[in-house]
Amino acid sequence: MHRLGGAGIGGLQRQTQASQAYKPLSSAISRSQVDGLQQQLSTFREALTRFAKEHRNDIRRDPEFRQQFQRMCAAIGVDPLAGPRKGGWWAELIGYGDWTYELAIQIVEICVNTRDMNGGLIELGEVLRVVRRLRALGGENESEAVSEEDIVRSVHTLSVLGAGYQVVTVGSRKMLRSVPQELDTDQAAVLEVAQEAGGQVNEGALVLRKKWTPERARTALDNMLMRDGLCWIDDQAEEGIVYWVPSVMLWADE
Amino acid sequence: MGLELAPYQAPSGFLLPSIHSWSAFYTYQPNPRTFLTQSQDWTSLLLAYARFRRLWLLALSDADAAAAGLGEGGKGTEWAEALHNPRLRPPRTISRKILLLVIEQLIASDRAIPDPPKQTSSVVLCWRSVPEWAGVLHEWALKTGQTNTILTLFEISNPAVESELSGMPEVLLRRAIAVLARTGKAQVIEGGEGGGVRFFP
Repeated sequence: MHRLGGAGIGGLQRQTQASQAYKPLSSAISRSQVDGLQQQLSTFREALTRFAKEHRNDIRRDPEFRQQFQRMCAAIGVDPLAGPRKGGWWAELIGYGDWTYELAIQIVEICVNTRDMNGGLIELGEVLRVVRRLRALGGENESEAVSEEDIVRSVHTLSVLGAGYQVVTVGSRKMLRSVPQELDTDQAAVLEVAQEAGGQVNEGALVLRKKWTPERARTALDNMLMRDGLCWIDDQAEEGIVYWVPSVMLWADE
Repeated sequence: MGLELAPYQAPSGFLLPSIHSWSAFYTYQPNPRTFLTQSQDWTSLLLAYARFRRLWLLALSDADAAAAGLGEGGKGTEWAEALHNPRLRPPRTISRKILLLVIEQLIASDRAIPDPPKQTSSVVLCWRSVPEWAGVLHEWALKTGQTNTILTLFEISNPAVESELSGMPEVLLRRAIAVLARTGKAQVIEGGEGGGVRFFP
């Protein structure tokens, strides 16, 4: 039976000698690897910088292009907002960081202004509509278009504030939550039923669609009405008390 | 049923906001934060509508009149477009509780004057604030060359040539005059037939 390094004192000494002999070699290899990597990285950064400079206007103006750029960065593990300076590597190159932060501030404004009305939950499409309207009023032309991906990305930059801004998927839609409470599963179920019924929901619909007991349905609806402000009550409907969810509606005001 | 709510142009030409097409807008919201936004929306809707149609008076009974669909020319119908939505199924009408609380808020914020005094079921609306009306009144007196002469209140609110002040209720007119009197731009003259006023340049 052959034992690696051999047995006894002699074997141990041989092992130590061998590993000492390998040391310089291994550090030489890793040094050359690091050098190579650094060279690659600087080449890559140069290329990316050149790319970002060349396409600066496209990145700022064209949401499609911006998304592709974002994807490319993500694929190679670069966060364009990260970096040693505030606003990231790209801030001074293309103003990308500023652009995202400005958008984030606009999103916060929209959420705060509508929070009493919708309980801090708003559909992403609605946020996008209001952002576009605000920007149109500000005299920005259509080439400065904002996409849904931009909204999601800006919301992500808000997460550091710990204010609970988060994109959640409810049923078939993406919604932006701006209050720290998590949506519980019953609330999500109520929102989903409301989405499918033109924004309205009542006890009977939940019993029928979700197989809930009337008590569970009543409790969920009452919490959403009184505790969370996520729905409004309507006592003038034919079928009795109905609840309406403002956050699943699109409000086409000018 | 669609999820998009759009503004609606009423037969009078007034553009109703999209929330007017939302059923829950007509029921009092028991959540205080929700009611805050609901009452603000109703307040601005009612003031904008009154201004658009030059409606001076708002009463709690206007909600019932709107719901009952009183005939053309009736006092209730001029508010019907705003207080009632016949396009919803079933039609919705502002609840009395909302209207009462909104009227109280309007009084508290100097946007309405109880008429008669000391009650909250009938008010004169100030869709321009009293100081704003004072400015309009003074400008009208200057432009029509009626300074330094004594005018009755009736002459001001029923001028031969239609003016912005046409039809203005006396209680509002008196408050606007009082503002001008405090700055020496008008003098109230007591006398029979409701008295008069003299404007100074």
